[in-house]
Amino acid sequence: MKRNVAIIGCGQTKHTSRRRDVNVAELVSEAVYNALEDAKISLHEVDAFVVGNMPGFEGIAQPEQWLGEWIGAAGKPVLRIATGGTTGGSVGQGGYYTVASGLHDVVIAVAWEKHSDSREAGATTGLTHVALGNIFHASAYGLNLKNLVATSVVGAAAGVAVYQAMFYMYRSGCSPKHFDMVAAKARRNAAKNKYAHLQWPGCTPEDIAKTEIITYPFRYGHVCPASDGASAIVVAEESVARKKSKQPAWFKGLASYSDEENQLQSENMGGVGVTDPSEQRGCWLSAMKSYRMAGIRDPQKEIDMAEIYQPFPSQELIFAERLGLFDENTAWIALEKGETDINGRLPLDPSGGVNATNAIGSSALQRILECALQIMGKAEEHQVPKKVRNAVAHGWGGVTNYTTVTVLGDSPRR
Amino acid sequence: MRRRVAIVGYAQSHHQHNMQKTREDMVFEVCKEALHNAGILREDLDTVVTASTDFLDGRTISSVFLSMAVGAFMKDESKVEEDGTFALYYALMRILAGNHDVALVEAHTQGSTLNPHQVSYYTLDPLFDRQIGVLNDIAAAALQARMYMNRHGVSEKHLAMVSVKNITNAARNPYAHRKMPDLSEKEVMSSKVFYDPIRELTMSPISDGACALILASEEKAKKFTDRPVWIEGVGICQDSYLRDRNIDKLDSLRTAARTAYKMAGIKNPLAELDVAEISEKFAHEELMIYEALGLCKEGEGKKLIERGTTRRDGSMPVNPSGGALGADPVCATGLIRVIEAAKQIKGEAGRYQVPGVRKALAHGQFGICAQKNTVYILGGQGS
Repeated sequence: MKRNVAIIGCGQTKHTSRRRDVNVAELVSEAVYNALEDAKISLHEVDAFVVGNMPGFEGIAQPEQWLGEWIGAAGKPVLRIATGGTTGGSVGQGGYYTVASGLHDVVIAVAWEKHSDSREAGATTGLTHVALGNIFHASAYGLNLKNLVATSVVGAAAGVAVYQAMFYMYRSGCSPKHFDMVAAKARRNAAKNKYAHLQWPGCTPEDIAKTEIITYPFRYGHVCPASDGASAIVVAEESVARKKSKQPAWFKGLASYSDEENQLQSENMGGVGVTDPSEQRGCWLSAMKSYRMAGIRDPQKEIDMAEIYQPFPSQELIFAERLGLFDENTAWIALEKGETDINGRLPLDPSGGVNATNAIGSSALQRILECALQIMGKAEEHQVPKKVRNAVAHGWGGVTNYTTVTVLGDSPRR
Repeated sequence: MRRRVAIVGYAQSHHQHNMQKTREDMVFEVCKEALHNAGILREDLDTVVTASTDFLDGRTISSVFLSMAVGAFMKDESKVEEDGTFALYYALMRILAGNHDVALVEAHTQGSTLNPHQVSYYTLDPLFDRQIGVLNDIAAAALQARMYMNRHGVSEKHLAMVSVKNITNAARNPYAHRKMPDLSEKEVMSSKVFYDPIRELTMSPISDGACALILASEEKAKKFTDRPVWIEGVGICQDSYLRDRNIDKLDSLRTAARTAYKMAGIKNPLAELDVAEISEKFAHEELMIYEALGLCKEGEGKKLIERGTTRRDGSMPVNPSGGALGADPVCATGLIRVIEAAKQIKGEAGRYQVPGVRKALAHGQFGICAQKNTVYILGGQGS
């Protein structure tokens, strides 16, 4: 009944602040052709495409209609999925469902962002528009914006993240110096990843601590960059996967549970109100569902590495706990002990993660892709030394309410 | 298909321009009503897939404040950014994969928020066509219409006949936006010209609207209802970009239809289908769609409308609900067609019911000149 599905090829572009040498279509096709080459498969063998990005950042609506021809999608099914920060994760999961449904056998899932095409950084224009609708609402009701917690999200991603980080620090007992450690680790790991954006070999927490404070507790060195880049995976059903790849990365479990949007009252002022944005019950539910599907009983023992969506370093710690990889409020202790280093007991973000490279639409797909590389043994310099049997890829976004969790493994689901 | 999947409930809003309701209220109402229509609770849902676009909704991450309104709170959910029939495709795949059994599919657009024709301009090639600034979806449709009309000797009167058929049908549909029970061909042909030959009454209106649909696997569907509407075939396809294709043909629709017919085992669609609900954003597209769906030979679309074959009382009724010319809340339009086709099978179409429908086709499209197309074949016992 169940159809086994695997990733058989991965392709990504070099990520930098400005890819002036390519346009959006060329950027996307760079990733797609790299993936095809990696999978040793031709475009004729591809049945369908799943694509996505955040359209506001480049200012192109339905870009797949314009750039379809570049990636060989003309005359084929193309599904466009876009869910904000989790877009890449949703696109990767869309790739799984497209094959698992039995409707298609070989599918390309591709996601991208080209921030430099936006006159201002996407993080200001694009993300402010998330809240804009609500601000208009509140004004229409005659509410005083100064008294609304909703206005805190006008600080875009950083506005939400500081608020979330403070909650986590308060309940777990960690301090901003742990954020320095996560950020330094991300920069060091990124230096080993040829596609990553912010590479800083030998970066130390002291280096990060020297950078300017943006909003407490975050320093300039804590914050992710806005990158141009794309990533693509080739997803195939079992018989193709076995034929084309010596070690495919099998989809074992996945879920994307939505939490309540975090603005205390919800759009119609009738919500139950998430008061702690670091609580992330949607992530916890998604993780539990994915592990159950993957047959994983104890993620702390059975998961060998994780790629966590951490544009801000606090999020690596928060979500490592929500993914069940560490006990509640203890991820920072594991960090101190070096357990999450690339050669540690449970490496987190050996690629450098979103903290070092953030082409938003692509970021969550990159997490899946990086886990696949580790399982396939193709991560080159940032390959973790331990054997990777099961890996978990995480995506996060929306107004702190969207999560995608994908568990990949070196053998198919039983 | 690996599992049988059925439509077990649905709802749509009263489509109109400037609905005077927030997007959230509009969406909440149709989702609640769809659950009620299926006789299930939110707790019975496994997954939710919605359809809307950031540009049309005028905000980044259009779905983000709708998790509560669509009942996706603490549910496995996702969003496609195009017509609702693509969301239905994704929900169908989620069930076929065996991960889920019951899905809610929701689609909406409030055309009064941001003019959809203005948004179409942002779907153009940003490096060339957008810079020149002469094209949008209506201008491109006008080129398409003229190319098609010249090639096959179709006159403006034929387009008017399509408009009269659909818009008078819409007058019988309580949910439709544009209702003109006494519309004449003359009136259509003297309505305002936007881009020759596209006139006010040969293109769809700008509507606010939403719809929701409940899908269930065979086991669950049989528990929920004794009259499920089965999805027997499905096909989706995307054409090349505007400049790289023959816009006077709908090749991707032809491919999508072929896939869906093959899956449903349909060899002669004109004889085997009882009704079709199609997304004709412009009157001339309806004739092109007839041809691409294989209801007639290439170039003979005009004969179907001349002979009255596709009228509500004809042998192959097309758009008894009024189609997109009757109401066009962009992302919802295709999914409304699926709902209308299901209503025909269940005998719930009221004053526009076609007698004895057992097999129905629904079509959705997205993009300039119908670049992306979906085709669904639905079947049931009939009423």
